[in-house]
Amino acid sequence: MRFKGVAKLALIIVVWELLVLSAAPNVLLAGPSDILRHAFDNAGLLARAALETTGHAALGFLWGNLAAILLAALILLVPRAEGVISSLALVVFSLPLIATGPILRALFGPGDGPQITLAGLAVYYTTFLAVIVGLRAVSESWIDLMRVYGRGAWTTLTKVRLRASLPYLFVGLQIAAPAAFLGAMIGEFTGAERGLGVLTLRAMRALQTEATWTLAVLSAGIAMAGYAGLGWIGARLFGGAPPLLLFAPRSRPARHAAAMAVETLGVVLLILLLWHGLMEVLGLNQFFAKRPLDVFGFLAQQPARATLLGALGQTLSFAFPGYVLGLALGAGLAALIVLFPPIERATLPVAVALRAVPIITTAPLFILALGRGFAGTVSVVAVMTFFPTFVACLQGLRQAPGQVTELFASYGATRTRLLLSAQVPAMLPAFFASARMAVPAALLAVTTVEWLATGNGIGVLMALTASTSDYNMLWSCVAALAVCAAAIYGFVGLCERAVLSRYAPEQLA
Amino acid sequence: MPGVEIELEDVSKSFGATAALAPITRRLRAGQTTALVGPSGCGKSTLLRMIAGLEHPDSGIIKLGSEKPSTMASRGALAMAFQDPSLLPWRTVRANITLGAELAGTVDPQVDALIDLVGLTGFGLHRPAELSGGMRQRAAIARALVSEPEVLLLDEPFGAVDAITRSRLGKELPPIWRGRGTTAVLVTHSVDEAVQLADRILVLTPRPGRVVADIDVDLPEGGDGRDVRERVFRDLAGQVLDALEKAA
Repeated sequence: MRFKGVAKLALIIVVWELLVLSAAPNVLLAGPSDILRHAFDNAGLLARAALETTGHAALGFLWGNLAAILLAALILLVPRAEGVISSLALVVFSLPLIATGPILRALFGPGDGPQITLAGLAVYYTTFLAVIVGLRAVSESWIDLMRVYGRGAWTTLTKVRLRASLPYLFVGLQIAAPAAFLGAMIGEFTGAERGLGVLTLRAMRALQTEATWTLAVLSAGIAMAGYAGLGWIGARLFGGAPPLLLFAPRSRPARHAAAMAVETLGVVLLILLLWHGLMEVLGLNQFFAKRPLDVFGFLAQQPARATLLGALGQTLSFAFPGYVLGLALGAGLAALIVLFPPIERATLPVAVALRAVPIITTAPLFILALGRGFAGTVSVVAVMTFFPTFVACLQGLRQAPGQVTELFASYGATRTRLLLSAQVPAMLPAFFASARMAVPAALLAVTTVEWLATGNGIGVLMALTASTSDYNMLWSCVAALAVCAAAIYGFVGLCERAVLSRYAPEQLA
Repeated sequence: MPGVEIELEDVSKSFGATAALAPITRRLRAGQTTALVGPSGCGKSTLLRMIAGLEHPDSGIIKLGSEKPSTMASRGALAMAFQDPSLLPWRTVRANITLGAELAGTVDPQVDALIDLVGLTGFGLHRPAELSGGMRQRAAIARALVSEPEVLLLDEPFGAVDAITRSRLGKELPPIWRGRGTTAVLVTHSVDEAVQLADRILVLTPRPGRVVADIDVDLPEGGDGRDVRERVFRDLAGQVLDALEKAA
């Protein structure tokens, strides 16, 4: 088994090398030998940068996960706060990290603060979801047992829920490891002095192909090592593979439209109050720490509004096709695998492994290969959306109960009929959940590519305003992206409800 | 600890617009085993859960001795074996069985004897995932018995157990709780099981459940007294079946 793995890896390396050797000279590719040579020549620099970035990621991992566990525990102890806490957590998660970076840089100044904070922000939401799911993944009869023993919520929490949640927490931590690395790198993109992100930015701008490839491979390798290491520990501690946790829990049951509108309005007001309150309490200088009213006032003026909306339009025109393409490819390949199972052996291990790679760290490679225009940007967004959608949809397609599958088989139904009538309805919640989670990911991808390379869209506007200290525009960009992410997330949620109520109403029960 | 009388006075329960249980008034005698028998959905498990304090009645009063169910539970004097074994997967069989004692801060000296009795000798340090469904169910019954409760509630405890083990447990376990004077309430679909295990059988009608027959089981414990092949046993089982058919 191990030998097969090594042989496959060797084959990939050989094919890669041959591809590079046979590629046209204007294609910006680097092969394994180029990467090894560059890494050997710059070993000291790369080691120092890797250590720096890994340190930031580790600290962010620690703080972000701690915050996630505390938030989840708070929800369990104060169930009424769940709506507000979950909404706030989601809004903060929806902020593309590349948008938050310059703001943090302005607030923290030079130093490690933004990198660590971004690493924390990158991990807290998935761990929060994992812990919430884990704390609730207890059998009703275990709770009944505690009650029959005359024990209350505290004993149930300490004796049952916490222990039951550990495998889920570990899955969350596993997903968080590459995410923390991604956060730290994005923090470094936005104005740090050291680290792999800084080197990547320099290599990109100088069109140093070998350096860019070496940095991407090194970053992806460290992130994947974190993912694999935590997975190995989890499997040893809890026996076998821990449960797959790919998406957020289903939306809460349908409520009256007016009640939803009031709740949404309440959350928006709370966010604005928290934003304003935090700036005031911390006594942050209004020159760089803008309040909600500053942003409203700024956006009331032209040409600021037109500039912002124009850039946002450009960004969305790249993000939307990539997002839809990634979703379609993810769901399509998953369906194809169900129809033709042998494909799975070739694709699934690669997809699961690549799910751990912070795609953004490899974005420079796409740009080198496909250019700085539409194709390069859309590809990065599509790849960012594809992997989680693919793995979630494949898992969703297998949610169809075995007895239903056997029933179809007993009627002599074709695989296509089984897929359309039983497996696709079972897959829909997983598809929509990953479609919701992919919204911030797609915006992060497009804004990062814009920031790094393309010269278009709101990513570039943020880069420019950060360097010219135009904080009104910078904060407006961040607010616009947050509103955009929340609106698209909400729209996908509405589509989910409409589709499920028509094609899989039992999934809404 | 000797058992206490269970008093049900005008106890009823509905779930939304569905009436699960019509008002029931009965006294379940201390130290006796009472079986609740009836068709699916007649409210027998609901009644058991109300006696355990897991559900609250819409009307009426439930008293275990002089206490409310929750008070008795907080003393650790109540135990229940569920339809699903409900073993905590991360604890060993032994640690699952001693969970109640651990929560009560006591150490039970008879746990090993009980593990032997339920046929789990040598499995004390195994995890639930390493046991068969029947073995898990036996561990759950041992967990309910080990704390020597005053009131023991059994919700279809032998549902997942094979016929031979069921027969063996049916002979070996009741003497344990009877010997301690425990008051036991058993929910079961099986008429034979009710006759084999109980001193008294309450037959319930389809939803909303009402008691239509209250039958004393006057069969000797031990020997062949409760052997399903004996004529007296079959006569009594026939009587319960007649009551069930009439109720339907």
